[in-house]
Amino acid sequence: MERPILEVKHFHAWFGDHEVVKDVNLTLYRNKVIAVMGPSGCGKTTFLRCINRMHELTPGARTEGEILLEGENIYEMSPIVLRLRVGMVFQRPNPFPHLTIYENVLAGYLLNNIPLSRTEKDAIVEDSLRKAALWNEVKDNLKKKGNFLSGGQQQRLCIARAIAMKPDILLLDEPTSALDPISTAGIEELTQELKKNYTLILVTHNMQQAARVSDETAFFYMGELVEFAPTRQIFTAPRDQRTQNYITGRFS
Amino acid sequence: MLVHSFKHIRHRQIRSTLIRVVIVCFTLLTLLPLLYILAYIIRRGIGAINWSFFVELPKPVGERGGGIANALTGSVLIVALATLMAVPVGLSSALYLSEHSRGKLAGFIRLCIEVLTGIPSIVVGIVAYYWLVRPMNSFSAFSGSVALAIMMLPIMIRSAEETLKRFPVHLREASLALGVPYYKTILKVLLPCSLSGVLSGIMLSIARVIGETAPLLFTAFGNPYLSFNIFHPMHSLPLLIYNYAISPYDSWHQLAWGAAWVLLMWILLLNVLTRIMIRKWSVRY
Amino acid sequence: MTALEHALKELKDDVILMWIMVEAQLQAAHKAMLEYDQHLAREVMQKEKRINAYELKIDEQCEDILARYQPVAVDLRFLLAVLKINANLERTADIADGIARYVIDAPEGFDHDLLQSTHLLDMYTEGMTMLSDTRIAFEREDTALARSIFQRDEIIDTYNLQALDIVTEHLQQGSAHIRQELLVLSIIRKLERVGDQAKNLAEEIIFYVEAKVLKHHSRKEL
Repeated sequence: MERPILEVKHFHAWFGDHEVVKDVNLTLYRNKVIAVMGPSGCGKTTFLRCINRMHELTPGARTEGEILLEGENIYEMSPIVLRLRVGMVFQRPNPFPHLTIYENVLAGYLLNNIPLSRTEKDAIVEDSLRKAALWNEVKDNLKKKGNFLSGGQQQRLCIARAIAMKPDILLLDEPTSALDPISTAGIEELTQELKKNYTLILVTHNMQQAARVSDETAFFYMGELVEFAPTRQIFTAPRDQRTQNYITGRFS
Repeated sequence: MLVHSFKHIRHRQIRSTLIRVVIVCFTLLTLLPLLYILAYIIRRGIGAINWSFFVELPKPVGERGGGIANALTGSVLIVALATLMAVPVGLSSALYLSEHSRGKLAGFIRLCIEVLTGIPSIVVGIVAYYWLVRPMNSFSAFSGSVALAIMMLPIMIRSAEETLKRFPVHLREASLALGVPYYKTILKVLLPCSLSGVLSGIMLSIARVIGETAPLLFTAFGNPYLSFNIFHPMHSLPLLIYNYAISPYDSWHQLAWGAAWVLLMWILLLNVLTRIMIRKWSVRY
Repeated sequence: MTALEHALKELKDDVILMWIMVEAQLQAAHKAMLEYDQHLAREVMQKEKRINAYELKIDEQCEDILARYQPVAVDLRFLLAVLKINANLERTADIADGIARYVIDAPEGFDHDLLQSTHLLDMYTEGMTMLSDTRIAFEREDTALARSIFQRDEIIDTYNLQALDIVTEHLQQGSAHIRQELLVLSIIRKLERVGDQAKNLAEEIIFYVEAKVLKHHSRKEL
């Protein structure tokens, strides 16, 4: 049995006194797309942000329990190191406006003063942009700033920026919510390519998206992980009545 | 019914046009004094402008000619020093305030800044006098700079804080998610993106203080000779204008007008530069 | 009720309506056979058109719901089951139509003793009951009732096997109504298929309610 890439054991998260994530237990394996879905306020985004320890940046945030990245407890490693191994793409495309496209892809290295030779930089930029399906569209404009790119292209630039760091896991927080349907379809297709090299955890409030792109789906409700199973099973024969109610739209 | 509504609409249209005319008139009214002052200074001052005006020292009474070299260099030095002092303090405060917009300390700092804005310039001068001139036993450009720096702070901090606050959370998160530590995020992402706003805040505060006379009266005090020693008294343009304008000598009046012209051009230049900078360097989120 | 729930309810009502129509067809064919009522038999053949129209309607409704709502889980299984149930019901109606045709083609009425001895009447009654029971199981989502169908189908299968022997015996004993004996055998074959259809219907009901696939599995896995 291969070793899991992420293990979550009895994990809780609070904002002040309010418990938003309750006793989550989860094991994830490599090279899969795992969707995390649930109604608004169910704790899915908070949970995602705990995996790269962004949750604790909010004042009053607190966690309990273990999250192991390839066997290592993420709370025993430096958050900086963790975030180099666990990348994140956000809901709103957020390339750095003061950097060129080239610099944006390398932002993780440049801002951290990680030295790279010119050839290494060029290689990383081309490789990441190719993997993000953006290379052909921008290869002649690498020295320009990214503000002429469309929303979908900007999001792919952010994906390139994240995968340039060669992370183990890529977290995606509703990456297509702010995009039009065609860009959304492009990103969804991209996830299938990306999973060959990375493990993706994707939070979405769009059930059909979860059904389309993921191999396994986790359903969160009111802070609890209600059900975690292969996507096919969740959408044809879910075990929990709450899951069924959610996906059939019996409640919002 | 239809006939009624047409009349009603016409009344509203007339009223709308009337109010628009009133607004435009009042605006012109505010512009008028400004334009008049500008025109007057330019007209009176331009006559004094020539090369020797800029490089010569003022001549004793009776002699024709002379220049404002000492006052000009003095103003430049005092303001430059004031900026050097004010920027680190101002920027750090602005950063602190933008990062901790809630909290008791932040609220207290804001209160102090607002009070500072309202303090009369002469009071600032007196304070600098007691702080620095007395203990140092001499008037100095340094104490003048301190006084000016105190006056620059509120404008700079307000403007910088506003710019820094507008920095979107999602860009900050993007940087943090890449493993960039907090202080590096500030230095390498927040500040560069906010550069134009911060710089324009600095320029505006400079423009505000270069014409201040009262704080320099008992700090820099004035110097008839050209001096680069900041711990000795130093002359400045506003001081020169003040002294020469109330003197009975025509030649000195002429110099004062010229100096006023120079000041005006300097302020205009700063404002124009600020606008260009904002347009060229501002980063759209 | 959401739009989807509303559409599903309408669909279910339509399916039940078709089910009742098919039951009525079987009953009418039964009566026509017993009473040699060729007029009634012709009515059965007429009504067959209505049933075909209903089959198309239900198929279309399913297609519509799938396209518009992309249902999942129990709703999806319900639609897939309805598509199959629809086809099964139509085939059952065909059987009733077939029996009615035999009645029309028969030159004389069927001998009741023959019908009795071959257990044709027993099969017919059981078949009709199985059909209406599956309908009730569908309406109430009663999988226990659905499961009871399997055993009863085995009874019909047994009758079917026995029928061949009985008819052969009759013919060897020199029965005069050879044609009738053969017709009876044909009708029995058709009734065996009614049993099969009812079994399929039961399997579909269990699939959609419990997400258990019982096709091609042995009875032991029930």
